[in-house]
Amino acid sequence: MSAILDVTGLTKAYAGVHALEGVAFGVEAGSITGLIGPNGSGKSTAIDCLSGFQKLDRGKVLLGGHDITGKPAHLIARAGLMRTFQTVRVYERLSLRENLAIASQQFDSATWLDEFLRTRRYRDAVDESEMRARRLIELIGLQKYYEAEAGILSYGQKKLVALAAALMPHPKIVVLDEPVAGVNPSRIREIEVALQELNRAGETFLIVEHNVEFITNLCHRVIVLEQGRKLAEGTAAEIHKDPRVLEAYLGMTPEMAEAEMRGAA
Amino acid sequence: MKHPLPLAIAVALAFAALPIVTASNYLVGVGVSALIFTVAAAALNLIYGFTGLLSFAQLGFWGIGGYAAALTVVTFGGTYWMGLVYAALLSGIVALVIGYPILRTNRHAFVISTLTFALLVALIARDWVDLTRGPLGIPNLPPPHAFGVTFDSPHKYYAIAWVFTVAMLAFLYALCSSRIGRTLVAIKQNEPLVRAQGISPMPYKLASFAIGAAITGAAGGVFTFYLRIIDTSFLDFYYMQTFLIIVIIGGAGSFWGVLLSGVVLSALPEALRFSADFRMIIYGVILVVAMFVMPTGVAGWLRERKLTAMREQLR
Amino acid sequence: MTIDAVYLLQLTLNGIALGLLYALIAVGLSLIFGVMEIINFAHGELLMLGAFGMCFALPVMGLLYWPALVASVIGVMLVGFAIYEVLLARLRPDEFERSILITLGLSIIIIHVMQYLFTATPRMVDSQFGFDGVEIGAIRITWTRVIGAGVALAAFAGLYFVLRHTQFGRAMRAIAQNREAALMVGIRPRVVARNAVVLAAGLSGLAGAAVAPIQNVTPYMGQFMIFKAFALVIIGGLGNVPGAVVAAVGLGLIESWIGGFYEIVWQEGAVFVIMIVVLFLRPDGLFKRGGMRVG
Repeated sequence: MSAILDVTGLTKAYAGVHALEGVAFGVEAGSITGLIGPNGSGKSTAIDCLSGFQKLDRGKVLLGGHDITGKPAHLIARAGLMRTFQTVRVYERLSLRENLAIASQQFDSATWLDEFLRTRRYRDAVDESEMRARRLIELIGLQKYYEAEAGILSYGQKKLVALAAALMPHPKIVVLDEPVAGVNPSRIREIEVALQELNRAGETFLIVEHNVEFITNLCHRVIVLEQGRKLAEGTAAEIHKDPRVLEAYLGMTPEMAEAEMRGAA
Repeated sequence: MKHPLPLAIAVALAFAALPIVTASNYLVGVGVSALIFTVAAAALNLIYGFTGLLSFAQLGFWGIGGYAAALTVVTFGGTYWMGLVYAALLSGIVALVIGYPILRTNRHAFVISTLTFALLVALIARDWVDLTRGPLGIPNLPPPHAFGVTFDSPHKYYAIAWVFTVAMLAFLYALCSSRIGRTLVAIKQNEPLVRAQGISPMPYKLASFAIGAAITGAAGGVFTFYLRIIDTSFLDFYYMQTFLIIVIIGGAGSFWGVLLSGVVLSALPEALRFSADFRMIIYGVILVVAMFVMPTGVAGWLRERKLTAMREQLR
Repeated sequence: MTIDAVYLLQLTLNGIALGLLYALIAVGLSLIFGVMEIINFAHGELLMLGAFGMCFALPVMGLLYWPALVASVIGVMLVGFAIYEVLLARLRPDEFERSILITLGLSIIIIHVMQYLFTATPRMVDSQFGFDGVEIGAIRITWTRVIGAGVALAAFAGLYFVLRHTQFGRAMRAIAQNREAALMVGIRPRVVARNAVVLAAGLSGLAGAAVAPIQNVTPYMGQFMIFKAFALVIIGGLGNVPGAVVAAVGLGLIESWIGGFYEIVWQEGAVFVIMIVVLFLRPDGLFKRGGMRVG
């Protein structure tokens, strides 16, 4: 399997703080990869830099072999890297249908002239977008809200909508910025299931999260950041036993962690 | 409103009948004002209601359009129709030129810059006497000709105003209900999300700004020739306030709300025959009160009720 | 064209006086923006009320300049207090467009009420100084202009002291620089905002009162100057008080020099051209935003 996202030497500093220093990792196509780390480790900065919402000082980002380093956010999205936001972003006063339609709008070949003349190209694009939207809406279980305004949904439901929107344009990879932060526990399981189903269908995810259990259940590989550097990389099980990770995260040694887990069992 | 178009057509036809129904020049004049102010308000709605940009520059383009049309005919020997084209074109081009630096700044600087622009146009109108004849203005503008008809009475000029209004509103309606219109609304609601979805907001904002400017400029040209004179009072803030109040009361972002509001509110100042000062005081009070009681206008208020009903239904 | 040195000096002094006047208005706007993130559209009307205040206070106080000035300024500060409590207190920081429209409505109301009550006829204000002036060589400056400039300078010195050395001043700067942090530290935004509005009203009223003996007083006089003050606040950087002062004095000088040699159109248009150029090069203004650093 090849890396759909290949990141090297990510470096960013601001106001004297070294948010990222030489971070490098790869995300395999078709995998679910986790990016974790304690507060201040640089996870959010990494996401923003990858998706073009912040500028990198140094580093290189390859998406499917193409160099997207330093490109503006909208071009990175068009290249195939879609992202969600930590504080959920949806179009609150538009219906779910419209939310999803806008998400795929830039990616079909119909122009405003096509729309004005209602050409075949336009009508096909709209039909295709509508079909995909309906399928995604069913997957996240929000069919009955299809025509409703996104603003009436709960926070967790909005996160599902944001996920669906990110998937509308058949992206190469979806980067999720804390997809379950602020979501109540019953909903978290729903999101987990949705992601697993989507992954089985071939979607690639890079998930930044605090919720370690969520990451453990979902991710094939996990990358750990600490204070702007990559601390460790491996499977979820490997990460759990890695002494450096335990030290950084929990301030524990492996023995203490073991005792904790046995106590919890 | 599920099927607004038949109602809209009915209203349009009703308006077309006005000069036939009444012989009063005064009433026809009120009708002309209603039509043209509604167009200007609809253009402001495109920029403010749909794209979310509070622009006072509209007043400047209104004035540029008016003077461009007048000067085309009087100083440069063109026809009225050419005057309207130049009014729209010049406004659009100026909008693109100043729009680019102004739109790149934050929203605070944007609003202030548009205001400064409008006041600057007013100043130029007053002080570039060689071109605009200053406060004396350009009186006695000749009536337009077409198809062998000279539109020299309010009743006849009404026809031009009506055709212009229907054309502009139809264009704006098509624009607002298209994907472009939808994108503008998205930009207003959540710009970072728009960028994350592969759309660059700047071209849309610029286009919206320029189109709004061109339409307002053309409207200014049409209104100038209805008045048959243009002077510095054309750039009175009164016009900007009128457009704003129409948009706010109707509901910023609602195409039909602003339309209805434009028709109703343009007639209102004429109905309230108070002294000029008192009328303005009422405008000011309406503005302040609306901002506290009904900031989303009538259309917004109706929408809230529909939403609450929908929420109940789905829970 | 030979440039007469004396003429240039006269222009420069006029420019500084004009600049100080602009600065009084712009600083008030900047303060309000820094603390509340809103632009007070009715700010010019506060100036106008200060001027009208002088109109009425001077005859009552036997043409004595200083008591009338103080009375006018206090009057405008009370108006500012009322404006805040009734209207502005209900605004949240991110309701920028709404604040503009509310203060716009207020501006309309104030102008037309004044016009209704007192008509648009320009009034000349007479004070104890009359039109006496001081002559330095070939340059003549009236006392009222000198005092106006002096009063402005004193006001700025006072403002500097307040911002730097009083708790209130520090609170204002804190909110301007980082609102969340200031809230966490326990600064009460309502109190600071109200005081900032009152202070800004005072400065604007002072400008109006100082200007009243120098030029005609009409209900529209605030409007003429306010849009330049807006542009100055943008050029200097929103919320940046020293920036506003620098931009204001700079503009006063530029306008005076241009006006001395070219037609008035270009003098008035100068501010807009400068603003566009500045926005092109530095979209956030010449100086940093909210940097109410006073030293």
